[in-house]
Amino acid sequence: MEGKIRANLLMCAGTGCVASGTPKVKAALQEELQKRGLADEIKIVLTGCNGFCAEGPVMLVYPEGIFYQKLTVDEIPKLVEEHFLKGRPYEKLMFREPEKKTAIPTMNEIPFFKHQVLRVLRNKGLIDPENMDEYIARDGYLAAAKALTEMTQADIIKTVKDSGLRGRGGAGFPTGMKWEFASKSVADQKYMLCNGDEGDPGAFMDRSVMEADPHSVIEGMIIGAKAIGASKGVIYVRAEYPLAVKRLQLAIDKCREAGLLGENILDSGFTFDLEIYLGAGAFVCGEETALMRSIEGKRGMPRPRPPFPAHKGLWDKPSVLNNVETLAQIAPVILHGAEWYKTLGTEKSTGTKVFALTGDIKNVGLVEVPMGIPLRTIIYDIGGGMKNKKKKFKSVQMGGPSGGCIPEILIDIPVTYEDVVKTGAIMGSGGMVVMDEDTCMVSTSKFFLEFTADESCGKCTPCRVGTRVMLDMLTDITEGRGKDGDIETLQDLSRDIISTSLCGLGQTAPNPVLSTIRYFRDEYESHIKDNWCKAGICRKLCSFHIFEDLCKGCGACLRGCPQQAIAGEKKQPHRIIQELCIQCRSCYDTCKFGAIKIGPAGCKDIKAMRELLEKVKEVKG
Amino acid sequence: MGDDTKILVVDDEPIVIKSCTAVLKSEGYNVEGMLSGKDAILRMEQTPYDLVFTDLKMPEVDGITLIRWIKQKRPDTGIVIITGYPSQDTMKDALELGIIDYVPKPFTPAVLLDVTHRAVEWVKGKAPAEKKVPEEFPPAMIQEIDRVITQYKGKPGSSIPVLQRCQEIVGYLPPVVQKRIAKGLNMTPAEIHSIVSFYSFFTMKPRGDHNIRICLGTACYVKRVEEVLNKIKQDLKLEVGEVTEDRKFSLETVRCLGACGLAPVMVIDDETYGAMNPKKVPEILKEYAGKD
Repeated sequence: MEGKIRANLLMCAGTGCVASGTPKVKAALQEELQKRGLADEIKIVLTGCNGFCAEGPVMLVYPEGIFYQKLTVDEIPKLVEEHFLKGRPYEKLMFREPEKKTAIPTMNEIPFFKHQVLRVLRNKGLIDPENMDEYIARDGYLAAAKALTEMTQADIIKTVKDSGLRGRGGAGFPTGMKWEFASKSVADQKYMLCNGDEGDPGAFMDRSVMEADPHSVIEGMIIGAKAIGASKGVIYVRAEYPLAVKRLQLAIDKCREAGLLGENILDSGFTFDLEIYLGAGAFVCGEETALMRSIEGKRGMPRPRPPFPAHKGLWDKPSVLNNVETLAQIAPVILHGAEWYKTLGTEKSTGTKVFALTGDIKNVGLVEVPMGIPLRTIIYDIGGGMKNKKKKFKSVQMGGPSGGCIPEILIDIPVTYEDVVKTGAIMGSGGMVVMDEDTCMVSTSKFFLEFTADESCGKCTPCRVGTRVMLDMLTDITEGRGKDGDIETLQDLSRDIISTSLCGLGQTAPNPVLSTIRYFRDEYESHIKDNWCKAGICRKLCSFHIFEDLCKGCGACLRGCPQQAIAGEKKQPHRIIQELCIQCRSCYDTCKFGAIKIGPAGCKDIKAMRELLEKVKEVKG
Repeated sequence: MGDDTKILVVDDEPIVIKSCTAVLKSEGYNVEGMLSGKDAILRMEQTPYDLVFTDLKMPEVDGITLIRWIKQKRPDTGIVIITGYPSQDTMKDALELGIIDYVPKPFTPAVLLDVTHRAVEWVKGKAPAEKKVPEEFPPAMIQEIDRVITQYKGKPGSSIPVLQRCQEIVGYLPPVVQKRIAKGLNMTPAEIHSIVSFYSFFTMKPRGDHNIRICLGTACYVKRVEEVLNKIKQDLKLEVGEVTEDRKFSLETVRCLGACGLAPVMVIDDETYGAMNPKKVPEILKEYAGKD
């Protein structure tokens, strides 16, 4: 018998918050409620990822909608006493805007949440992902019931096509068209597949959806299976996502029990069943033909298309592979119709998109916004700008190793598939890594190339060898061995690799290099010509100097220097002994007054450097 | 046959001790029995045994506690468990603690003797103090591998799941294990090896007691995870992909753990550490240095 519950405490149990301490806080909370005799009337619910990972562990109190953040075990007794005994929401744990002192009590007023529109993440932080009833209570499986009992295959496909929904995995291929191709293929067996092998470094939206709302993915698959006529389905998930695997498996089991998977679902005569297949960590398996080879138990190497998977896919049978986020959108589309879906977004990029906002940004987390929203709104209004307010925004990386870096001058573009591609980046799966002025763009492109060179499956020589050659060149540039003409050679090699590789990995691998050359060519040049990494990241290409007029003699840099390479009396300007300096940049990061400047490698003459810096300023200004 | 091998049987049911003693004594083994884990510990503090047979479910000091004690205080003693329900979970726990084999209850004298002979061979054959990479695996481990193979046999596309499960059991996939899997699944060793070498999840080297994974995803990169990695390499004198000499730690890098909100991220075993910096490293490593 459940007593009268007067409050529900929705605690985030996403990976981020768990690592920040949810389990300990939950135990303390449970104990405190017990101690105060409140355990029967106040219920703790562990939900999936709330999205506001930066402030974790977070908790939402219903029915009031009060949002608490950065919970600690020590604060729990006070919180319980104030809020649940005395009825006074506890301000100390509420969100505050950095410049303002007032606490913001409810979630919807916090800027991070205010600009978001939740469709994919409609249930995030609201339901217990391990309880199917809670999903059903929020209209879960209504769309599946409608699709199975009232709609024909053609109806479903038409609705999805009309909605303009495009695959959220990266390339943005229209989902309805994919389904139509597969539905027209004739075969004794077809497969409905879900790609949960999220591999783009910097993206974690699929993980969150699978962990927070596994049923939304399954419902999308049931509808898709009906549309193409598939009776078997596979969800391919990374083995590195154990929580997602557990919750999906639990959801599948519950669906079988409830008759939503298996034979004759909801008495509609339709049969469909699902299983989970654990990926084994190969980035190239995000490519659809490679993923299918992997399910067949082989090396996950792509194969030429045609034949397209819609005709010959898994086990050579017609197959459709959709991304997790795409599938999570299907149920609302079917339930509310194509017109409803198109009310958000632009003509060619409809609906909403989830982004994983990370890097040097204040509000790290998961956000869902209407397509077409200016990039600036995401970074400054939702993201809260740079984490370190003194640093300037430099670039945002979109699309992972297949994408590119968008510079500050383009920050007002609307975020749609078309506009992002024009910048040289791609929408990708939705990772947005924000970088401030302390980032070296040459090193960044080297980082991505290391990734693709490592993950190249080796089938196509241009990709296998070409990326390696490019990586060697970039390593040379970052270590002071760059030569005139290197930039042009990199561009030529890029073009060759793009035009001669079989799959998306090779065709897009040079993108990070091309886009950084396009917008930050001066950085490449100063690395090559001046031996100068202005961000001070490439150790062999920088030197550190204290500008005497800015130094207050506080001694912070001196204490932090691992080499004892800084000398100076208290309250007197300090100086760096260049012979001892190892360019670890700890002084640069420590100095609160911006007195430490980065010069070219081996620079001993501060005066000359000062002039050089002035010149750079003039040119830029 | 039994020569001077000393065996201790621990079970709270007298009948089990009685029957074991009768069977094993007839083969010439030197057998004693104890009715509780507590008594066994008291006895073992006095005198060493070559082999201990123990039940898992016992009042007060249970089997798992006893096994832990033996592993710590009498590491050279071989352990075999006697259990009524060799379920996967308890077997996994016990395997992780380093048992040699198990005897399912009820058992026939033939089964008991068979297990005992193999266990004695294992105990006598193994190099004593030195912790060497075993080229042979305890029979219980091999049985588990075979069980996984049988479960998946004949199912198309099962090579990857089988390799994943076997890696879970053994900890890594050395050539002997790959060969056994290849044979079991009617594939060539080359085919199995081509899969093992393609996917980064599979490893052919044993890991340390604690496996450190450093995320090299973009978000972690931007937050300079490299400095954390260098600090670990320096402190443990360890390169990526290697194991420390005392086999305490192994170090790996991974491509994005999907916990970008916490960047830079480090994972030790199953514990995630977010917002890492080089200064936090020594303290965290210290936590593990004392653990088994």
